[in-house]
Amino acid sequence: MIRKQYSAALTATCVILGVIIGVQYNTVKHQSITTENQRLSEATLALNQMQAERDALQKQNEALEKTLAEYQEGAVDTEMEQLMEFAGLTVVSGEGVIVTVNDSSSMGGGDRNAYLVHAEDLLSVVNELYAAGAKAVSVNGQRMVQQSAITCAGSIVMVNGVRVAAPFEIRAAGEADILHSALYFPGGVVDHLSPWGIEINVAKHAEVEVPAYTQSALFKAMDEEE
Amino acid sequence: MLVALLGLIAGIVIGIMSGIVFPHGFSGYVAMGILACLDSLLGGIYANMQDNFRWKVFATGFVSNAVLAIALIFLGNRLSIDLSIAAIVVYGSRMFNNFSSIRHWILNKNEKKAEQNAEA
Repeated sequence: MIRKQYSAALTATCVILGVIIGVQYNTVKHQSITTENQRLSEATLALNQMQAERDALQKQNEALEKTLAEYQEGAVDTEMEQLMEFAGLTVVSGEGVIVTVNDSSSMGGGDRNAYLVHAEDLLSVVNELYAAGAKAVSVNGQRMVQQSAITCAGSIVMVNGVRVAAPFEIRAAGEADILHSALYFPGGVVDHLSPWGIEINVAKHAEVEVPAYTQSALFKAMDEEE
Repeated sequence: MLVALLGLIAGIVIGIMSGIVFPHGFSGYVAMGILACLDSLLGGIYANMQDNFRWKVFATGFVSNAVLAIALIFLGNRLSIDLSIAAIVVYGSRMFNNFSSIRHWILNKNEKKAEQNAEA
């Protein structure tokens, strides 16, 4: 009787022990697989990132080598010329128009100011010329560049920080016909100014020389920056 | 004894085939289960050799010791104190004690047999 109970108890305990050992074996195996998978996916991710980075760097390298080759072939000079022209540091000559604007000589009634040429009037002329495709514009020898300003300073007008006074001469390089029409279209700048007797005259020229942005102005701007 | 060995093998096979996996963080409790089983096995074998085996003692000892050990680990986890060491040390020392007692008992029995043979 005791013998039977003994072997039954022993067997039962052994079965429990076996089950626990088996499940633990599964657990350990599962854990190691999970860790390996995690490591694998991390490594794959890192590899992909590295490959993408390498491709991007290769492309960058190719582009830089191409630029270097272009510069060696003299493209740098061309580019500098283009940029200088774009910045208004070169004299531009060619087909264009010369617009002369002067204060009104007829003194009608009302506000005297209405018969004078104002900064806004010059600004609208310059703006219209640029809109019509002018390559370069200057006002009384002051080349209009990116940082140019036309402002009113009492009885005179400031262009590029330089005082200018009537009569104004606006030179613009570009297709003369188009520039001319741009100023003369109905309701345009000329229509707006002529009722006040302001003398505005647009002359087409085959050869107009628009001066460069003066070096002194450039150096002045650089001094102010420092 | 042979039946017990077969039971152990069957248990391992069942455990692996079941595909069950212990949840994360249960390794301490599993260790306690294994220790409780081994301790009960050796204790049971020793008691049997002394003709002292009673299944009620065996069963209650197995269950209550395991429960106490698991409760200790649970408390230890909550208090961040490794109380499982206490259970492992006690179970371990008892297992070695029982094992050495069994060894002594078997050796004594063999010596007695040899003496009897010599006398005869």
